[in-house]
Amino acid sequence: MDNRIEELLPFYALGALTDKEREEVEAYLVEHPEVRAQIEEMEIAASALPYSASPVAPSDRPKKTLMARIEADQRAQSSIRREESRSRSTGTRNWFMRIQPSFISALSLLVAVVAMTLMFASNREVSELRDDVTALRSALLAQESRLEQLNQAVGEVNAKLPQTPPSALKTFAIGGTENRPEAHGQLLADPNSQSAVLVVSGLAPLPSGKIYQIWLIEGDTPKSAGLLKVDALGQGVSVLTPEEAIASYNALGISIEPEKGSQQPTGDIVMLGKFD
Amino acid sequence: MSDPLNNSPKKDAIEAALRIKSKRSFPDSADSTNREELSDEKLVSQVVNGDSAALETLYDRYASTVLGISLRVNDDQAVAEDILQETFWRVWRYAATYQPRLGSFAVWLFRITRNLVVDLHRKQNVRPQAARYTDYEDPDIDQTPDPDANVAEQAQSLLKHRQVRAALTALPTEQKQVLEMAFFYGMTRQEIAKATGEPLGTIHTRARLALQKLRRELEKQEFEG
Repeated sequence: MDNRIEELLPFYALGALTDKEREEVEAYLVEHPEVRAQIEEMEIAASALPYSASPVAPSDRPKKTLMARIEADQRAQSSIRREESRSRSTGTRNWFMRIQPSFISALSLLVAVVAMTLMFASNREVSELRDDVTALRSALLAQESRLEQLNQAVGEVNAKLPQTPPSALKTFAIGGTENRPEAHGQLLADPNSQSAVLVVSGLAPLPSGKIYQIWLIEGDTPKSAGLLKVDALGQGVSVLTPEEAIASYNALGISIEPEKGSQQPTGDIVMLGKFD
Repeated sequence: MSDPLNNSPKKDAIEAALRIKSKRSFPDSADSTNREELSDEKLVSQVVNGDSAALETLYDRYASTVLGISLRVNDDQAVAEDILQETFWRVWRYAATYQPRLGSFAVWLFRITRNLVVDLHRKQNVRPQAARYTDYEDPDIDQTPDPDANVAEQAQSLLKHRQVRAALTALPTEQKQVLEMAFFYGMTRQEIAKATGEPLGTIHTRARLALQKLRRELEKQEFEG
């Protein structure tokens, strides 16, 4: 056996090598699997060492804190599952309806008006209905900035609909990490497209100089997918237009960054969701 | 030095308790009312399914050992208890990543604890006190009874502690010192050489001999990890 590897093995078993040394040993093991038996013998001895420390009965505090933390986690997970379940059962249109009922009401009315237009195409009222459509469009444009943001989001998703069947749309749950367990959200996307809508809530407004940044994670590489502003209630919406199809990413994360954003995540990861 | 473990009437009492009620011999019944009787692996699978009561049972089973590991490096009880809590939080979050084929649950659990302890130690940049390296001489253990732990489990845990301590008494102090510095403090071989003032080659030899000797002594003690 290589002398250097032989020197490193005991410290490998004890978990006391530098990262570089550990990689060196593991690379050697790939080429020399027969050395594993020797390491396993050493690991048996190393794994007994925790029992050399005298056991000490803990106070009640850590257990109480742990169980409270777990209860909060279960509530957050349960909330995400309920939200996910509602999304699946009510479909995409109702998903938007929950986001912004007033917008959907207006949109539904618009659709109804168009339908009526088709039904009464030969009718003299067509022109009046067209006037109504125009009026409704004007009303939509007059909505407050949040409504406009949603309008844009829906517009971008709808633009994809002619090329993709509705069933291609998927909803991915994005959950709060231990840094923001109360946060939850959803990403609506056709995995084969390069656009998606992210809706989140439960994200506390940040102090001046900080902003939430969205990351799409490809393998181990996070790629910025834009900044995310939230309102006073902790809700935010963002349209993502990544360079590659959503399916080429395996997760989405949100971190806290300096107000102009970062090249790589530098702050706390507050939300995370895998695209399973 | 005589072997106090093998001559101790306590050992017989402990082994008798284990014969009456060993967790290894319990069937893997899914009856939630008998969680204390389930194997570690069965409990972990329940934790994966979101059963917090299963995690609580594992906590009761191992908390005193985990806290002991933490206190080995940190004198501050509050900090050590934070590590205890964080250890089991990680079990809760990452139970699905535990693979029984790679080792027992206890080994996995203690590795989580040890990594947390080492990380904290490195952050604090505290150098261990030399006196801490040589306190294996007496394998007798003062253990405060944990009111939440099952009696048979406590007996089994106590037996393991005694076996390991007895095995360690067979090692020269300088070899134990290397094990302690590397394992509990996460010190690299270079750091150990610097701290002890010994050549690096000597540290390599001591570590290798220590693990070989400890392995043999554990076999003599019939230690089951």
